[in-house]
Amino acid sequence: MIFKKRFTFCLLLLCQIISAQHDSITKLKEVLVSDTNLKKYSDSQSVLKLNDSIISKNEALLTDLLNFNSSLYFKEYGRGMLSTVSFRGTTSSQTAVIWNGININSQMNGSTDFNTISGTDYNSVSVKAGGGSVIYGSGAVGGTVHLNNDLDFYNRFENNLKLDYGSFNTIGINYKTNISNKKWSAQIGISNNSSTNDYKYVDKYTWKGEQRWNRNGEYNIFTMSANLGYKLNAKNILKLYTQTSNTDRNTSLVTETETPSKYINGFNRNLLEYVGSFGKLTANLKTAYIFENYQYYADNSINDYTYGKTESLITKADFGYTLFKSTQINGIVDYNKTTGTGSGFGTNTREISSASLLVKQNISTSWINEFGVRKEFTDNYKSPVLFSLGSSYQFGQLYNLKLNLSRNFRIPTFNDLYWEPGGNRDLKPESSYQAEIGNVFTFSNITLTQTFYYIKIKDLLQWVPGNNGIWTPQNTDNVNSYGAETLLSWKKQFGKNIFSVNVTYAHTISENINTKKQLFFVPFDKATAAIAYSRNRISANYQFLYNGFVYTRADNDPDEIINDYMISNIGIDYDFNFFDSFKLGFQVLNLFNEAYESLENRSMPGRNFNMYLILKF
Amino acid sequence: MKFSKLFLIALSASLFVSCSSDDGDSNEPQGIYDNGVFILNEGSSGQGTVSFLSEDFSVFTKDIYTAVNGDDLLGKYAQNIFFYEDNAYIIAGGSDVINVVNRYTFKLVDKIETGLKNPRYGVVKDGKAYVTNANSYADWGAPATDPGNMDDYVAIIDLKTNKYESKIDLNATGNRLVLENGKLYITEPVTSTRLLVVDIAAKKLEAPIEIGSNADCIEEENGFLYILRGPYTNRSEIVKVKLSDKSVSKITFPETLDGAGFMDIEDNKVYYTVGSSVYAINANATTASTTPIVTSPAGYVYGFAVNNNRIYIADGVFTKDGSAYIYDLSGALLKELTTGVGTNGFYFND
Repeated sequence: MIFKKRFTFCLLLLCQIISAQHDSITKLKEVLVSDTNLKKYSDSQSVLKLNDSIISKNEALLTDLLNFNSSLYFKEYGRGMLSTVSFRGTTSSQTAVIWNGININSQMNGSTDFNTISGTDYNSVSVKAGGGSVIYGSGAVGGTVHLNNDLDFYNRFENNLKLDYGSFNTIGINYKTNISNKKWSAQIGISNNSSTNDYKYVDKYTWKGEQRWNRNGEYNIFTMSANLGYKLNAKNILKLYTQTSNTDRNTSLVTETETPSKYINGFNRNLLEYVGSFGKLTANLKTAYIFENYQYYADNSINDYTYGKTESLITKADFGYTLFKSTQINGIVDYNKTTGTGSGFGTNTREISSASLLVKQNISTSWINEFGVRKEFTDNYKSPVLFSLGSSYQFGQLYNLKLNLSRNFRIPTFNDLYWEPGGNRDLKPESSYQAEIGNVFTFSNITLTQTFYYIKIKDLLQWVPGNNGIWTPQNTDNVNSYGAETLLSWKKQFGKNIFSVNVTYAHTISENINTKKQLFFVPFDKATAAIAYSRNRISANYQFLYNGFVYTRADNDPDEIINDYMISNIGIDYDFNFFDSFKLGFQVLNLFNEAYESLENRSMPGRNFNMYLILKF
Repeated sequence: MKFSKLFLIALSASLFVSCSSDDGDSNEPQGIYDNGVFILNEGSSGQGTVSFLSEDFSVFTKDIYTAVNGDDLLGKYAQNIFFYEDNAYIIAGGSDVINVVNRYTFKLVDKIETGLKNPRYGVVKDGKAYVTNANSYADWGAPATDPGNMDDYVAIIDLKTNKYESKIDLNATGNRLVLENGKLYITEPVTSTRLLVVDIAAKKLEAPIEIGSNADCIEEENGFLYILRGPYTNRSEIVKVKLSDKSVSKITFPETLDGAGFMDIEDNKVYYTVGSSVYAINANATTASTTPIVTSPAGYVYGFAVNNNRIYIADGVFTKDGSAYIYDLSGALLKELTTGVGTNGFYFND
């Protein structure tokens, strides 16, 4: 395949992450980012930031946003259904999702379902490649996805409403308001995304010759957020982030005869933060309460379900001190208490404390070093000492070299430890060593980032049949994952015409050390491209996704694969310039009506349509 | 499927003989899949599959259902196959469906799509199939009186029309079954401690027989039911129920044979597995044998059968294809095969 060859060529130049377009407006104003360490301690790694202008060009759910704009690979159990991620060839619980600085991966299964999150609820979504357990804890092995709400302190009253209507009765209502002055800042948002989701399976027929379609695929995702900031004075700031969400989904059927089931899950997150700056000393105190729950109805028609819920209390104190002009240190202690109750694992509580130290050294304007170390204390498992070491050196204007070495981990979940039957209280965390080299080239309007990485993961948790046929988790496998990521961005203005191009490409080898086989459901290749054009009030964009084939079996049986697929979307919108902005847009998704799936017999939709209205006032 | 699955004994030899005798004395193959064994693979994230091995080992096909029926989906968690006249009936428990295929060509004939809820095992009598259905599942460790443990039933299916006809509620859990003298005898290894008895003419439950927990494989021989139970924390046993008076006797295994798995009866000999080893005793023996005939390399024995002087062992693997091992009765390896995902049973088409 010519396409593949061309990309293999690119791969030689490998890459990493690009800071995609910034909203030029917000640059000038004071913005208080929610996750200061993301900014402060990621110079030696790559961060791809997707701001709200990119978010609004994509379908609402986070899977679509990241699938078409980053090198993350997703497995979806049908459109809108359970969606799990693989980053740098790691498992779904080795990518940590971070909400305003707090790790929100499920305490029950360790991962995040990216179809329960709507991108529009955030000001930006950032994808940080590589290990981050020193700062973000469990699961930051392949990388981290950051959902950020930033608070602005300037006089404004802004409303942003986006309405979507698309095929399969897909309806999106997303509203956000920002009210702020120099002392106060409030951001309130509501989103609701739903679909009957009864799309036809392209070229699929039952044995009776009837067209197959996505049965029992209805979903509804509702989220409400309120974020508040208050500047007591120049030195002291209080912030409160709250979010509550409910996802009510049926689970799409593989065959027509299956019993329809449904899955309801939700969360409630509250974070109170204090930021104090006193010359050389900074203090950041956080208290968070996070609740998550699910109910699974094996049969829609019966009011009988299994359930699980966890409550976590997190407190964190982060003190920063500027030692010399060039050296800053942060000392962080945190305490996390999680209580889980479920029909599958009874009631259990786990307490984890940790202490970490971060050091950043700006030796010169072009040379930055980072160092971090973290140790957790808990009765539940033996915790390794985590560390990270990084360096970034800017050679002239053209070239920036980044090096990073880290040790990361993923702790056993409530399911792993306590599930009845089979839970294993004698598990080790999965742990990894990671090394990466990033090269960032900048010439005029082009940024090219290439990153080569190598991850050695040991004690991978896997559920295997034990004695008496009861499945139980064991630390079975060791994996070497290595590869290269390339990010390319280009932006150019010719008179009134503005062009931009963003490309990502990842080549991933993720190999079981014992069997020398590629992990199943890890593609060797994934590429995305987004091309945007705007002139005056018109803008148009084209999105492209190539997902290479994946094996579905541990023995890499060549007959048992999910085929590669290429998906294209196009969109156009026009700003009528009523109010601050009044955009009407139209999109064609899966333009070429490709029949594809990311899991066996989980067909995705063919060509479909969406229109939207974005109103700012 | 965390359920421990065994070979279907329901398909007792007598049933087969009666079927094959209809075919006349000639053993002329009636299609490419005549005279061989169907190996059922329950699947994991993907669909179940069926492999075929000819009697003389000359032909092996890994996935005959797809080879013959193309795109059609067999269903999730393929659990059991039973036969009637020219058809084989493949139960896919996770998809609430029974695929009806021609047993000689494996061409899809029909699908039984109604009246099933987590179907498990089936037997046939007078043109009707009796299929156990787990219906809803209770939580692990829930009492036997939990609604999920009270709603299992036997679906009655007319095999002339392939339509669900009616059901018999079990008011308990039911899984494997045999049919003898117009009665169903049903075991269930997770929750039940009793052998259920169902009169199929009256469609009524009779008094159950207390046999103890973890009873799974069941087979009839010489007027006795043989039932293997392998509790996790107690001694394994073969429970014998005399059909004429329902009296119960037991062969209790020594502790070294804890966690017995599967059992099959062939030519007056009872074969059973513990771990990866196979043992045999005479049908009238009163003590267990502790000397294995063979210990297979299977890491997780998930299916077992003895037929026509051969021992069949399935190694259940769920992240890739599993294996089947075929031995003669002295334990010599005759054939090793790479089958499908979650291989759980052997069904003889002869």
